[in-house]
Amino acid sequence: MSSIIFYLFAGVLIFASLAVVLARNPLYNVLALVVAIFAMSSLFVLLEAFFVGMILLLVYAGAVLVFFIFVVMCLNLQSDTTILLRQDRFKLMGWLIGILFLLEFFWVIKSTLAAQTIETSSVHGSIENIGRILFTDYLLPFELTSFLLLIAIFGIVSLAQGAFKTGKEGNS
Amino acid sequence: MIGLDQYLLLSGGIFFIGIIGIMTSRSALKVLLSLELLLAASNIVFVAFSRFNGDYAGQLIVFFVILVAAAEVAVGLAIIVLMYRHFSTVQADELKDLKW
Repeated sequence: MSSIIFYLFAGVLIFASLAVVLARNPLYNVLALVVAIFAMSSLFVLLEAFFVGMILLLVYAGAVLVFFIFVVMCLNLQSDTTILLRQDRFKLMGWLIGILFLLEFFWVIKSTLAAQTIETSSVHGSIENIGRILFTDYLLPFELTSFLLLIAIFGIVSLAQGAFKTGKEGNS
Repeated sequence: MIGLDQYLLLSGGIFFIGIIGIMTSRSALKVLLSLELLLAASNIVFVAFSRFNGDYAGQLIVFFVILVAAAEVAVGLAIIVLMYRHFSTVQADELKDLKW
Protein backbone atom coordinates (compact mmCIF):
# COMPACT_ATOMS: atom_id res chain seq x y z
CA MET A 1 0.00 0.00 0.00
CA SER A 2 2.73 2.44 0.96
CA SER A 3 4.70 1.65 -2.20
CA ILE A 4 1.61 2.39 -4.33
CA ILE A 5 1.26 5.78 -2.61
CA PHE A 6 4.97 6.46 -3.08
CA TYR A 7 4.89 5.74 -6.81
CA LEU A 8 1.70 7.78 -7.24
CA PHE A 9 3.12 10.89 -5.60
CA ALA A 10 6.58 10.40 -7.13
CA GLY A 11 4.93 10.31 -10.56
CA VAL A 12 2.95 13.46 -9.80
CA LEU A 13 6.16 15.13 -8.57
CA ILE A 14 8.13 14.20 -11.70
CA PHE A 15 5.37 15.33 -14.06
CA ALA A 16 4.84 18.58 -12.17
CA SER A 17 8.58 19.35 -12.24
CA LEU A 18 8.65 18.65 -15.97
CA ALA A 19 5.75 21.07 -16.34
CA VAL A 20 7.66 23.68 -14.33
CA VAL A 21 10.47 23.53 -16.86
CA LEU A 22 8.58 22.87 -20.08
CA ALA A 23 5.31 24.85 -19.90
CA ARG A 24 5.24 27.95 -22.06
CA ASN A 25 3.00 30.10 -19.91
CA PRO A 26 4.76 31.58 -16.82
CA LEU A 27 1.61 31.24 -14.73
CA TYR A 28 1.45 27.51 -15.49
CA ASN A 29 5.09 27.14 -14.41
CA VAL A 30 4.28 28.56 -10.99
CA LEU A 31 1.07 26.53 -10.63
CA ALA A 32 2.95 23.35 -11.60
CA LEU A 33 5.44 24.11 -8.84
CA VAL A 34 2.50 24.36 -6.41
CA VAL A 35 1.43 20.86 -7.47
CA ALA A 36 5.02 19.64 -7.06
CA ILE A 37 5.18 21.08 -3.54
CA PHE A 38 1.92 19.34 -2.64
CA ALA A 39 3.27 16.00 -3.90
CA MET A 40 6.53 16.54 -2.02
CA SER A 41 4.63 17.30 1.17
CA SER A 42 2.74 14.03 0.84
CA LEU A 43 6.05 12.21 0.39
CA PHE A 44 7.27 13.85 3.61
CA VAL A 45 4.17 12.62 5.43
CA LEU A 46 4.90 9.16 4.03
CA LEU A 47 8.40 9.49 5.54
CA GLU A 48 6.76 10.38 8.90
CA ALA A 49 8.10 13.96 8.79
CA PHE A 50 4.73 15.51 9.62
CA PHE A 51 5.92 18.87 10.93
CA VAL A 52 8.25 19.58 8.00
CA GLY A 53 5.56 18.52 5.54
CA MET A 54 3.08 20.96 7.05
CA ILE A 55 5.65 23.78 7.15
CA LEU A 56 6.42 23.08 3.50
CA LEU A 57 2.75 23.46 2.61
CA LEU A 58 2.24 26.59 4.69
CA VAL A 59 5.42 28.47 3.82
CA TYR A 60 6.08 27.26 0.28
CA ALA A 61 2.68 26.66 -1.28
CA GLY A 62 0.99 29.21 0.95
CA ALA A 63 3.38 32.15 0.96
CA VAL A 64 6.31 31.83 -1.45
CA LEU A 65 4.44 30.56 -4.49
CA VAL A 66 1.55 32.96 -3.98
CA PHE A 67 4.20 35.67 -4.03
CA PHE A 68 5.46 34.21 -7.32
CA ILE A 69 1.95 34.26 -8.78
CA PHE A 70 1.52 37.83 -7.55
CA VAL A 71 4.69 38.93 -9.36
CA VAL A 72 3.75 37.07 -12.56
CA MET A 73 0.32 38.71 -12.54
CA CYS A 74 1.90 42.08 -11.75
CA LEU A 75 4.37 41.90 -14.63
CA ASN A 76 1.54 40.81 -16.95
CA LEU A 77 3.83 38.77 -19.20
CA GLN A 78 0.97 37.24 -21.16
CA SER A 79 -2.46 38.74 -21.07
CA ASP A 80 -4.40 35.63 -22.18
CA THR A 81 -3.74 33.59 -19.03
CA THR A 82 -7.00 34.49 -17.31
CA ILE A 83 -8.95 33.36 -20.34
CA LEU A 84 -7.11 30.02 -20.35
CA LEU A 85 -7.80 29.47 -16.65
CA ARG A 86 -11.54 29.87 -17.20
CA GLN A 87 -11.83 26.77 -19.38
CA ASP A 88 -14.07 23.86 -18.45
CA ARG A 89 -11.45 21.13 -18.07
CA PHE A 90 -10.10 22.92 -15.01
CA LYS A 91 -13.59 23.11 -13.56
CA LEU A 92 -14.07 19.34 -13.87
CA MET A 93 -10.67 18.64 -12.32
CA GLY A 94 -11.42 21.05 -9.47
CA TRP A 95 -14.73 19.34 -8.69
CA LEU A 96 -13.05 15.90 -8.73
CA ILE A 97 -10.28 16.97 -6.35
CA GLY A 98 -12.76 18.77 -4.09
CA ILE A 99 -15.02 15.72 -3.78
CA LEU A 100 -11.96 13.55 -3.11
CA PHE A 101 -10.89 15.88 -0.30
CA LEU A 102 -14.41 15.89 1.17
CA LEU A 103 -14.53 12.07 1.24
CA GLU A 104 -11.08 11.95 2.79
CA PHE A 105 -12.14 14.48 5.43
CA PHE A 106 -15.13 12.37 6.47
CA TRP A 107 -12.99 9.22 6.52
CA VAL A 108 -10.40 10.91 8.77
CA ILE A 109 -13.08 12.12 11.20
CA LYS A 110 -14.63 8.65 11.33
CA SER A 111 -11.30 6.94 12.00
CA THR A 112 -10.25 9.56 14.59
CA LEU A 113 -13.42 9.02 16.61
CA ALA A 114 -12.77 5.29 16.62
CA ALA A 115 -9.06 5.44 17.48
CA GLN A 116 -7.63 5.60 20.97
CA THR A 117 -5.17 8.32 22.04
CA ILE A 118 -1.48 7.87 21.23
CA GLU A 119 1.64 9.44 22.71
CA THR A 120 2.88 12.29 20.48
CA SER A 121 6.48 11.80 21.58
CA SER A 122 6.47 8.31 20.08
CA VAL A 123 5.62 9.70 16.63
CA HIS A 124 8.77 10.14 14.57
CA GLY A 125 8.49 13.64 13.14
CA SER A 126 6.02 15.25 15.51
CA ILE A 127 6.22 18.91 16.55
CA GLU A 128 7.23 17.88 20.07
CA ASN A 129 10.35 16.00 18.95
CA ILE A 130 11.36 18.55 16.33
CA GLY A 131 10.77 21.50 18.67
CA ARG A 132 12.78 19.92 21.47
CA ILE A 133 15.86 19.41 19.30
CA LEU A 134 15.36 22.79 17.59
CA PHE A 135 15.47 24.79 20.82
CA THR A 136 18.31 22.89 22.45
CA ASP A 137 20.97 21.65 20.03
CA TYR A 138 20.12 23.90 17.09
CA LEU A 139 19.28 27.12 18.92
CA LEU A 140 22.15 29.15 17.42
CA PRO A 141 21.33 28.34 13.75
CA PHE A 142 17.69 29.13 14.52
CA GLU A 143 18.57 32.58 15.85
CA LEU A 144 20.94 33.18 12.94
CA THR A 145 18.05 32.43 10.59
CA SER A 146 16.08 35.30 12.07
CA PHE A 147 19.11 37.52 11.46
CA LEU A 148 19.18 36.35 7.83
CA LEU A 149 15.51 37.21 7.39
CA LEU A 150 16.21 40.67 8.85
CA ILE A 151 19.00 41.20 6.32
CA ALA A 152 16.66 40.08 3.51
CA ILE A 153 14.08 42.64 4.65
CA PHE A 154 16.75 45.37 4.63
CA GLY A 155 17.83 44.34 1.13
CA ILE A 156 14.29 44.41 -0.26
CA VAL A 157 13.51 47.77 1.34
CA SER A 158 16.67 49.32 -0.08
CA LEU A 159 15.92 47.85 -3.53
CA ALA A 160 12.37 49.21 -3.42
CA GLN A 161 13.60 52.61 -2.30
CA GLY A 162 16.02 52.82 -5.21
CA ALA A 163 13.22 51.90 -7.62
CA PHE A 164 10.99 54.59 -6.13
CA LYS A 165 13.70 57.23 -6.52
CA THR A 166 14.54 56.34 -10.13
CA GLY A 167 10.83 56.24 -10.94
CA LYS A 168 10.39 59.75 -9.58
CA GLU A 169 13.40 61.01 -11.54
CA GLY A 170 11.96 59.45 -14.68
CA ASN A 171 8.66 61.23 -14.18
CA SER A 172 10.09 64.66 -13.43
CA MET B 1 8.85 -2.03 0.03
CA ILE B 2 10.20 1.46 -0.57
CA GLY B 3 13.75 1.99 0.66
CA LEU B 4 16.27 4.77 0.61
CA ASP B 5 17.25 4.03 -2.99
CA GLN B 6 13.90 5.02 -4.47
CA TYR B 7 13.91 8.34 -2.65
CA LEU B 8 17.47 9.08 -3.78
CA LEU B 9 16.58 8.21 -7.37
CA LEU B 10 13.50 10.46 -7.23
CA SER B 11 15.54 13.29 -5.79
CA GLY B 12 18.21 12.87 -8.44
CA GLY B 13 15.55 13.03 -11.12
CA ILE B 14 14.07 16.24 -9.72
CA PHE B 15 17.54 17.76 -9.42
CA PHE B 16 18.30 16.82 -13.03
CA ILE B 17 15.07 18.44 -14.23
CA GLY B 18 15.90 21.58 -12.27
CA ILE B 19 19.43 21.77 -13.72
CA ILE B 20 17.99 21.38 -17.24
CA GLY B 21 15.52 24.15 -16.45
CA ILE B 22 18.24 26.53 -15.29
CA MET B 23 20.39 25.78 -18.36
CA THR B 24 17.68 26.08 -20.99
CA SER B 25 15.27 28.74 -19.80
CA ARG B 26 15.84 32.33 -20.82
CA SER B 27 13.30 33.94 -18.52
CA ALA B 28 14.74 34.96 -15.14
CA LEU B 29 11.48 33.95 -13.46
CA LYS B 30 11.81 30.42 -14.79
CA VAL B 31 15.40 30.24 -13.55
CA LEU B 32 14.18 31.13 -10.05
CA LEU B 33 11.48 28.45 -10.27
CA SER B 34 14.05 25.86 -11.35
CA LEU B 35 16.22 26.88 -8.38
CA GLU B 36 13.23 26.06 -6.18
CA LEU B 37 13.18 22.60 -7.77
CA LEU B 38 16.85 22.09 -6.83
CA LEU B 39 16.10 23.04 -3.21
CA ALA B 40 13.11 20.68 -3.22
CA ALA B 41 15.27 17.79 -4.45
CA SER B 42 17.81 18.35 -1.67
CA ASN B 43 14.97 18.52 0.87
CA ILE B 44 13.77 15.07 -0.18
CA VAL B 45 17.26 13.65 0.39
CA PHE B 46 17.50 15.22 3.84
CA VAL B 47 14.13 13.90 4.98
CA ALA B 48 14.78 10.44 3.53
CA PHE B 49 18.12 10.12 5.34
CA SER B 50 16.55 11.46 8.52
CA ARG B 51 13.84 8.79 8.32
CA PHE B 52 16.12 5.86 7.57
CA ASN B 53 18.79 6.84 10.10
CA GLY B 54 16.30 7.69 12.85
CA ASP B 55 17.85 11.14 13.35
CA TYR B 56 15.79 14.34 13.48
CA ALA B 57 18.64 16.63 12.39
CA GLY B 58 17.84 16.14 8.71
CA GLN B 59 14.29 17.43 9.18
CA LEU B 60 15.66 20.49 10.97
CA ILE B 61 17.97 21.20 8.04
CA VAL B 62 14.91 21.09 5.77
CA PHE B 63 13.23 23.62 8.08
CA PHE B 64 16.23 25.95 7.70
CA VAL B 65 16.35 25.40 3.93
CA ILE B 66 12.70 26.46 3.67
CA LEU B 67 13.40 29.65 5.63
CA VAL B 68 16.45 30.53 3.54
CA ALA B 69 14.54 29.80 0.34
CA ALA B 70 11.81 32.20 1.43
CA ALA B 71 14.37 34.97 1.88
CA GLU B 72 16.04 34.09 -1.42
CA VAL B 73 12.75 34.19 -3.33
CA ALA B 74 11.80 37.55 -1.81
CA VAL B 75 15.09 39.18 -2.86
CA GLY B 76 15.12 37.44 -6.24
CA LEU B 77 11.59 38.51 -7.12
CA ALA B 78 12.37 42.10 -6.02
CA ILE B 79 15.32 42.10 -8.42
CA ILE B 80 13.14 40.68 -11.21
CA VAL B 81 10.50 43.37 -10.68
CA LEU B 82 13.21 46.04 -10.79
CA MET B 83 14.63 44.43 -13.94
CA TYR B 84 11.20 44.52 -15.57
CA ARG B 85 10.73 48.17 -14.67
CA HIS B 86 14.12 49.13 -16.02
CA PHE B 87 14.36 47.00 -19.17
CA SER B 88 10.66 46.13 -19.70
CA THR B 89 11.58 42.45 -20.03
CA VAL B 90 12.46 39.49 -17.82
CA GLN B 91 14.53 37.66 -20.44
CA ALA B 92 18.02 37.20 -19.04
CA ASP B 93 19.54 37.39 -22.56
CA GLU B 94 18.43 40.98 -22.95
CA LEU B 95 20.67 42.17 -20.13
CA LYS B 96 23.68 43.08 -22.24
CA ASP B 97 24.51 46.48 -20.79
CA LEU B 98 27.25 46.76 -18.21
CA LYS B 99 26.08 50.19 -17.10
CA TRP B 100 22.49 51.17 -16.23
